[in-house]
Amino acid sequence: MYASLVPTSAEMIRFLPELILTVVATLFMVLDPLLGRQSRHVYGHFSILALLGAMAAAVYVYRDPGAAFSGMLMVDGFATFFRVVVIGVGILTVLPSYRYLDREDAETGEYHALLLFSIVGQCVMVTANELIMIFIGLEISSIASYVLAGYLRDDRRANEAALKYFLLGSFATAFFLYGVALIYGMTGSTNLATVRRAILGGSLGSAPIFIGVAAALMFVGLGFKVSGAPFQIWAPDVYQGAPTPVAAFLSAGPKAAAFAIFLRIFLTAFQPIGPGWEPLVWVSALASMTLGNFAALTQSNIKRLLAYSSIAHAGYVLVALAARSNVGTAAAMFYMAAYAFMNIGAFAVVSHLSGKGERYLKVEDFAGLGAKQPGTAALLSIFLLSLIGVPLTGGFFGKFYIFKAALDSHLVWLTVLGLLNSAVAAYYYLRILVMMYMREPGEAASRIQPLTPGLRAALVLPALGTLVLGIFPGWVLDFAGRSSVFVR
Amino acid sequence: MNAVPLSWYLTLSGVLFTLGAAGFLFRRNIITVFMSIELMLNAVNLSFISFSYAFRRVDGQIFTFFVMVVAAAEAAVGLAIILTVFKNRNTLNIDDLNSMKDEYQPAQPEEASETAPVSVP
Amino acid sequence: MNLLDLVLLLPLVGFLAGLVLPRASEHLIRVSALVFSLVTFGVSVGLGFGVRAGEQFVTDVPWIRSPNIHYHVSVDGLSVWLIILSTFLTPICVAISWKYIQSRVKEFYAFLLLLELGLVGVFAAQDLFLFYVFWEISLVPMYFLIGIWGHERRIYAAVKFFLYTMAGSMLMLAAIIFLYNRTGTFDYPGLMEMLSSGRLSLSGGEQMLLFLAFFIAFAIKVPLFPLHTWLPDAHVEAPTAGSVMLASVMLKMGCYGLVRFCLPMFPGAARSCAPWIAVLAIIGIIYGALVAMVQPNMKKLVAYSSVSHLGFVVLGIFSFTQIGLDGAVYQMLNHGISTGALFILVGYLYERRHSLFIKDFGGVATPAPWLSAIFLVTTLASIGLPILNNFVGEFMVLQGSAQANYTWTVFAALGVILSACYMLWLYQRVFYGAAGQEVSSHVHDLSAREFAGIIPLVVMMVWMGVYSQSFLPPVSVADGRVLDQTKVNVRFQVKTPALKSQTAEVARVR
Repeated sequence: MYASLVPTSAEMIRFLPELILTVVATLFMVLDPLLGRQSRHVYGHFSILALLGAMAAAVYVYRDPGAAFSGMLMVDGFATFFRVVVIGVGILTVLPSYRYLDREDAETGEYHALLLFSIVGQCVMVTANELIMIFIGLEISSIASYVLAGYLRDDRRANEAALKYFLLGSFATAFFLYGVALIYGMTGSTNLATVRRAILGGSLGSAPIFIGVAAALMFVGLGFKVSGAPFQIWAPDVYQGAPTPVAAFLSAGPKAAAFAIFLRIFLTAFQPIGPGWEPLVWVSALASMTLGNFAALTQSNIKRLLAYSSIAHAGYVLVALAARSNVGTAAAMFYMAAYAFMNIGAFAVVSHLSGKGERYLKVEDFAGLGAKQPGTAALLSIFLLSLIGVPLTGGFFGKFYIFKAALDSHLVWLTVLGLLNSAVAAYYYLRILVMMYMREPGEAASRIQPLTPGLRAALVLPALGTLVLGIFPGWVLDFAGRSSVFVR
Repeated sequence: MNAVPLSWYLTLSGVLFTLGAAGFLFRRNIITVFMSIELMLNAVNLSFISFSYAFRRVDGQIFTFFVMVVAAAEAAVGLAIILTVFKNRNTLNIDDLNSMKDEYQPAQPEEASETAPVSVP
Repeated sequence: MNLLDLVLLLPLVGFLAGLVLPRASEHLIRVSALVFSLVTFGVSVGLGFGVRAGEQFVTDVPWIRSPNIHYHVSVDGLSVWLIILSTFLTPICVAISWKYIQSRVKEFYAFLLLLELGLVGVFAAQDLFLFYVFWEISLVPMYFLIGIWGHERRIYAAVKFFLYTMAGSMLMLAAIIFLYNRTGTFDYPGLMEMLSSGRLSLSGGEQMLLFLAFFIAFAIKVPLFPLHTWLPDAHVEAPTAGSVMLASVMLKMGCYGLVRFCLPMFPGAARSCAPWIAVLAIIGIIYGALVAMVQPNMKKLVAYSSVSHLGFVVLGIFSFTQIGLDGAVYQMLNHGISTGALFILVGYLYERRHSLFIKDFGGVATPAPWLSAIFLVTTLASIGLPILNNFVGEFMVLQGSAQANYTWTVFAALGVILSACYMLWLYQRVFYGAAGQEVSSHVHDLSAREFAGIIPLVVMMVWMGVYSQSFLPPVSVADGRVLDQTKVNVRFQVKTPALKSQTAEVARVR
C-alpha cells in the first residue's frame, strides 16, 4: 500500500519547475560565501536562466496535465497559467534588480536566492490542490519575502517594512491555518475536492456553522495576503519601506499566487456555500476599491501611492471573485497577468528615477521626466494609462472582463460603483502624467542616469506585454477561460 | 484522556487562539506580539491533534509537525528582523515604528525622527 | 481594404512615422504630418463621393473571439460628413500650428494624428466595443494637447476634461457590457436587427437606465447644460489647434452618439425623456448666450457660444422630426466649420497680441483689414445670416422643434437673437474704434500660411449656406432610417388598431 506514496517519474516531472528553482536557489546559497564580489552579476544571469528554464518546464509539463504526489499537487491549466505569471514576475523583478543592487551596494547572492525561494513557494501555492500544501507554499513564499522586504539591513524604513510585513503576514497565516484545522476537523480531509464533496454530502451534523467559520477565517487570512480591505493596513508601509524592486515583486507575485489560492479554495471547496460568502467578498471588494482609490488621491510618496492603487486593484479582482463564475475566474486570471506587467513596469521606472538611497520618491520628482528622458516617460505613460484602464492596454481589457463577469452574475451595483471608482482612480495616475509632461524638470529628472540594459529590458518587456494584452488579448483569455473550470 | 470530550479541546484551542489574537492587537512590545502569534499557531496545533485523535488517524499529527517546522523557520526569520529593528532604533515598542506615514507636510520627518528621544526597554 | 480603412490607416501610419522621425528634424515632422493629413483628407473626399453615389464601405473582421468583438466599420450619410470634417480640419490644424507650436513638435503632431484616428474611428465604428475603444483613444491625445501646449491653467483644464469624460464613459461601458450580456454581440447593426425584430426586448426600467447611461456619457461630451462646466476651461486653456479639434469635432462625438445610439436603441426612453432634455437644451441655448455676452475673454466667449449652439443640435435631435434631425446634423457640421474658424481667428489674434482679452484689442480693422473681413464673415455665419451655413441648420432645427412643440421654438429663437448681440458686440469692440499703440505696433495682416488655414473654412461656410443640397440628401436618408427605428420600436410597444393599419401601410410601401 505504500507503493502509491513513492512518486513516479511522471509526478516528479510535474514538479520540475519547482525543482529547477530550488536547486538553483540552494546552489546560490552555497556558492555565495565562496565567490567573490567580482561575480556579483553572475547570480542575476543565472536567476534569469533558471526562471526561463522553470517557465519552459511549466509550459512543457502542461502537455501531460494531472495530479502528483497523491493528489497534493494538480498541474492543470489554472496552475500552469499562474506558474507562468509568477515566474514571469520573477524575471521582471530580476531585471531592474541588477541596477538597484549595484546602486545600493548590496549583496546579490542571497537576494537572488531568496527571490527564487519565494517564487518556488508561489509555484507550490498555485499548483497545490490541498490545504496543507497551500499552507506550506504560502509560508515558503512569505518567509522569503519577509527577508526581501528588509533586505537593506541598515535602512530604517526597510526594517520597519520587514517587521510589519512579518508580523501581519504571520498573523494572517495563523487565521488561515485555523481555518484549515477546522476544515480538517469537520470533513476529515484537507483535499479541496474531498472537502467539497463532504460539504455537499451533508454528512456534517452540526458542522455547517463551523464550515462557515472556517471559510470566514480563511477569508481573513487570504484577505491579508491579497491586501484587500479591511485587511490592507500593512500594504502602504511595506511597499513604501521595501526596496523598490521588491515592492514591485510583492505587489505582483505573492499577490497573484494568493489570488490563485483564493479562487481555487473558494470556488472548489467552498463553492457549495457560495451564497454565504459572496456578501463578504462583495463588501471587501467595494471597500478595497473605494479605500484604495480615495486614499491614493492624497499621497505624495509614489511608492505609497502605488501601494494604495494596488489595494484598489485587489478590489477589482475581488469583484471577479464575487461573480462566482468561470467567466469571473478567467477575468481574475487575465487581470493578474495584466496587472503584473503594468505594475512592475511602473515600479521599475520608480526604481530608476529614485536614485541612490531612493531619495526621489515624491510625485513631484517626476517633473519634467518627459523632457529629460522621453523614452522612459513614454513607457511609464503606457503603464499609467493601463492602470487607469484606457483601451488598447491590458488593464482596460482586464477591467472590462471583470465587470462583464460581474454583470453576468447580476452584480449591477458593484459594477457601477467599481466603474465609477476607476474614474476616480484616473485622477491620481493623471497627476503623475501631469508631472512628467507638463512641468519643468526638477532635481530628480535632471540627475537621472541613462538606462542600463537590464532596466531597459525591465521597462520594454512589461510595456510590450501590456500592449499585447490590450490589443490581442484573445489567446490569453481563451486559455484562461479554458482553465477556469474547477468543478466539472 | 478518553474522559475528556473533543469539544473541550476545541474550546481550549479557540480560547488560546483568541488570546493570541488579542495579544497581537493589544500588546505593544514586539517580542510579546511575536509570542502571541506563536500562541495562535499552537492553538491551531492543538485543534489538529485533538481532531486527529478523535478520528483515530495520524495525518492531523503530521500536519502539526509541518506547522511546527514552519513556525520555527518563521521564528528564525522573525527574530532576526526584530533584532535589526532593535539595532537601528533601540526600541521594541511597536508604536515607535511610524517613520513612514505620508510625508505630505513639507517638513523633514527624516531629520525629526533622527533626533527623537531613544526609549530603552 | 476599402477607402474607409485607408482613412483610418493613414493617420495611424502618420502617427507612427511621427514617432520614428528624429526629434531634431522639426520641419520634416511638420511636413510629414501635413502630407499625411492632406492625403487622408483626399481619400475621405473620395469616401464622400462614394457615399453620395450609394456605395457601401463596410469592413467586418473578427478582432477578439471571446467576447465576440469585431473590427466592424462602415459609413452612412450620418457619419460620412463628420469623418470628412475631421480629416478636413486636421491639415488646417497642422497649418495653423506651424509657427505657434515650437516646443516638443514631434509629440504635438503625433498626438494630433492620433486624435484624428480616434475621431474618425468613433464615427466609423459599427461595433459598440470598437466605438468605446475609439472614444477613449481620442481622449488621451486631447488630454496631452491641452495639458502640454495650453495656456496658464492648462493642467487644471486637462485633468477636468479627462475626468468628466471618463466618468461619463464608465457609465456607457457598463451599459455596453449589459447589452452584450443580454445579446452576446457588440455589433450595432445586429443589435438594431434584434431590437426591431423583437428578439431583444428591454423592460421599461432597463431601457431607461441604459438610455441614461449612454445619454450622460454623450451629454457630457456635447456638452448639455448642467454638465458643460469642463468646456470653457478646456477651450480657453487649449492651444488653438486643440480648441479647434475640440469644438469642431470632439463635441460632435456626443451629438453623433445621441443620434446613432440613444435614439434608435432606446426609443421609448428617449421619447419619454425628450421634453426634459429639450428644456435642458433650451436652458443651455439661453444660458450659454447670456454668459457669452459678459465674457471679457474672447476664447471663453466662443466657448460659451458653443454651449448655446450645441443646445440647438440637441433640441433638433430630440424633436423627433425628420427636418429637426436633419437640421441638427447639418448644424453639427456648421458649428464645426464656423466655430473652428472663430477659434483659428482668435488664435491668430493671440499670436499677434499675446492676449485673449477683448479690452486689449480695438481698432484691429485698421492694421489688419483682411483679418477683420474674414472675422466678419465668420461672425455673420455664426450669427446665422442667410446665405451662410448656420442659417440653414438653425432654421431647420427651429422648424423641426416647432412641429414638436411651438413653445420650445419661441425660447430657442431667443438664442439666435442673443447670439447676434454678443457676436456683433465682440466684433465691434475688437475691430472698430481707434487702434491703440499696442495694437497698431503688434497686429499685422494675415500671412500666406494663415490665409491657407482659414480660406477653406470661409469657402465651406458659403458653400454650405448656399447649396446645402450637396450635403443634405445622404444625411436625410440616414436620419430617416433613425426615425424609422424609433417608430418601429415604439410600435412594438404600443399596439393600437390605428397603428396596426399604419404598420401594414408602411410594410406595403416598402
